Amino acid sequence: MLSLLGTLAKFAVIIVKNVRRNLLRTTFTSLGTMTLVLVVTLVWSVLSFIDDQTSEKANDLKVLITEKNKSPSRLPYAYVSSLKEGAARAPDDVRPVDYMTWVFYGGMLDPTKPSRENFIFLIGGEPEKIPTMMEELDQLGPADRARLDRAVQRMKEQRNACVIGPEQLKTMNKKVGERIKVSGLIFKGIDLEFEIIDTFPDAAKRYAQTSVMNIEYLLAALEEYKVTNKKPHPEGDAPVAFVVLRVKNRAELERLTAQIGDSPLYTAPAVRCESQGSAISSFLEAYKDIFWGMRWLLGPAVLFTLSLVIANAISISVRERRMEIALLKVLGFRPGHVMGLVLGEALLIGTLSGVFSAGGAYLLINKLAGGIPFPIAWFQRFFIPDQALWWGLAVGAGTAFVGCIFPALSARSVRVADVFSKIA
Amino acid sequence: MSDAEPIVRVVGVHKYFTRGAERVDVLQDLTVDVADGEFLALMGPSGSGKTTLLNLIAGLDTPSAGEVWVGSELISQMSETGLARWRTRSVGFIFQFYHLLPVLSAYENIELPLLLLPLSAADRKKQVMTALELVGLTDRMSHRPGQLSGGQQQRVGIARAIVTDPTLIVADEPTGDLDAKSADEILKLLDELQRGLQKTIIMVTHDPHAAERAQRTLHLEKGNLVEQTARKLERA
Ligand SMILES: Nc1ncnc2c1ncn2[C@@H]1O[C@H](COP(=O)(O)OP(=O)(O)OP(=O)(O)O)[C@@H](O)[C@H]1O
Ligand SMILES: [Mg+2]
Repeated sequence: MLSLLGTLAKFAVIIVKNVRRNLLRTTFTSLGTMTLVLVVTLVWSVLSFIDDQTSEKANDLKVLITEKNKSPSRLPYAYVSSLKEGAARAPDDVRPVDYMTWVFYGGMLDPTKPSRENFIFLIGGEPEKIPTMMEELDQLGPADRARLDRAVQRMKEQRNACVIGPEQLKTMNKKVGERIKVSGLIFKGIDLEFEIIDTFPDAAKRYAQTSVMNIEYLLAALEEYKVTNKKPHPEGDAPVAFVVLRVKNRAELERLTAQIGDSPLYTAPAVRCESQGSAISSFLEAYKDIFWGMRWLLGPAVLFTLSLVIANAISISVRERRMEIALLKVLGFRPGHVMGLVLGEALLIGTLSGVFSAGGAYLLINKLAGGIPFPIAWFQRFFIPDQALWWGLAVGAGTAFVGCIFPALSARSVRVADVFSKIA
Repeated sequence: MSDAEPIVRVVGVHKYFTRGAERVDVLQDLTVDVADGEFLALMGPSGSGKTTLLNLIAGLDTPSAGEVWVGSELISQMSETGLARWRTRSVGFIFQFYHLLPVLSAYENIELPLLLLPLSAADRKKQVMTALELVGLTDRMSHRPGQLSGGQQQRVGIARAIVTDPTLIVADEPTGDLDAKSADEILKLLDELQRGLQKTIIMVTHDPHAAERAQRTLHLEKGNLVEQTARKLERA
């Protein structure tokens, strides 16, 4: 056993020395591998995020209630009180376990200068629902969560408090503690003054450019508009974009959908009720060709190219070393040993480059660059998921393996008698 | 012929190669015995089949007809894998162009065949050191082939050939690429292996001087044994 390990170690030494013998070629091969693994990592990061968004989580099912057949959707705030109960009437009707109302308020800090630094977009909702009903915020660490909870508490007590994503804050060139005046764009004539009480924690990467406010603040302003102008605001009777409900399981989701669909409360306007995953899927329908292309054309094409890069480098090595391979066979190395040496060389280059590339991308893109800027649908940026480190390993090793099959077979078939022939 | 039991017996061996539709008969009905512990030289013009015969005896190739025995083993009937295993233990190879792996040190080159045997690291080391000592290169063991002279490289080649303690050593023009002085040293070394360690050595050579070292010389011509130079009297 020990002697076997020792022998394997000796084989490993030979492999490492072989890899190092043509440093230029090894360098080019691993640079090529790293670039291509990077592309695959980026593509798969976007796809895995999209898949995650559109897949139903068995134990965390969310239902999205929007205006039927209209985009953007607008619902009266009056719907909320019954919707958050799932339109339950009978005692044994299904009730959602949680809910959140979403309004969108956007505007300019300085209405005379319509520029990006001047624009702010806020999601309004029930502050206490932010940590549980907004994606990923329930995964914050204890310190970040405590900070978010304090901000939520403050938003509840102080209606004009808002939390702004760190990048958005930087874009606007503002600081926590400052006040901002916003002239409404979505709700024209509704100008609101906010106090920036905190930013989203850095760990909540998706929220770098997102801002949240208390829905009550907007509702109160709409009410005030009505009193002052003696008529309701044109958007005032339907300010809600959608309501999100959480249910326990698939069965409850179906019953809840039926309950809301059968309810007489929602006729003008009528509502659509679907699981969040399928809602997002239908939003993304317009982009499905892009995703399809990324998944089935770009990804495989890059993997194929990667195999070729490795196959090319390894077959040059094998061709150069035919005499050495023949010599090894004369000494009694069997075809399996020879293939092992070739495979080991390919795996060493592929695996190291793959892990290095994916790991580097993970650090650089997530920690330094703040995500991949790839604006599609309403997503702005994508992040490299933790499992990308495994992708790097698997892609590097897998393509190295595929790429070295032919060179390894050709090494295997080198004839022993070649060493004695005159061509040496 | 030697009076000792033959260690190598080539019996009625035929070997032909096919080049396209053409058949090239290289060895024809060749029979020869090599005694245990003998130093045999093989001479003959280029293309006469010396290397071909050596390859058959060393288990690198199989005859088209006839039998090759080494010790008690009929190697002409062995499978490819069987031959590979047999070669590791039983044959040491010395080449005209040394065939050392350029990335490995002298030590590691000598160690190569041992990697195929179930030895402990300590035993492996002991055997490599013994071989290094025998060829007098202990002080150069961490040098790579590129850092050694031709004669030194060939000594590493010889150490690699004897490190598994094989019964048979085959050498194809081992001095063909060396100057007279280095060639002489190599021949002396082979002589020592044969006398001191009782190795059986079969050496192909074009050099009559080199052949003089051997106890017997076989002349091949067009695949036939044309002459056997009588065994010389034992040198003291
Ligand atoms: N694998 C092969 N395929 C076809 N023909 C071969 C092969 N190996 C050897 N031959 C032919 O067999 C003949 C004998 O070759 P061999 O190498 O045994 O000669 P040799 O006596 O060793 O010559 P040299 O002194 O030049 O090394 C030559 O005509 C050669 O072309
Ligand atoms: Mg020859």
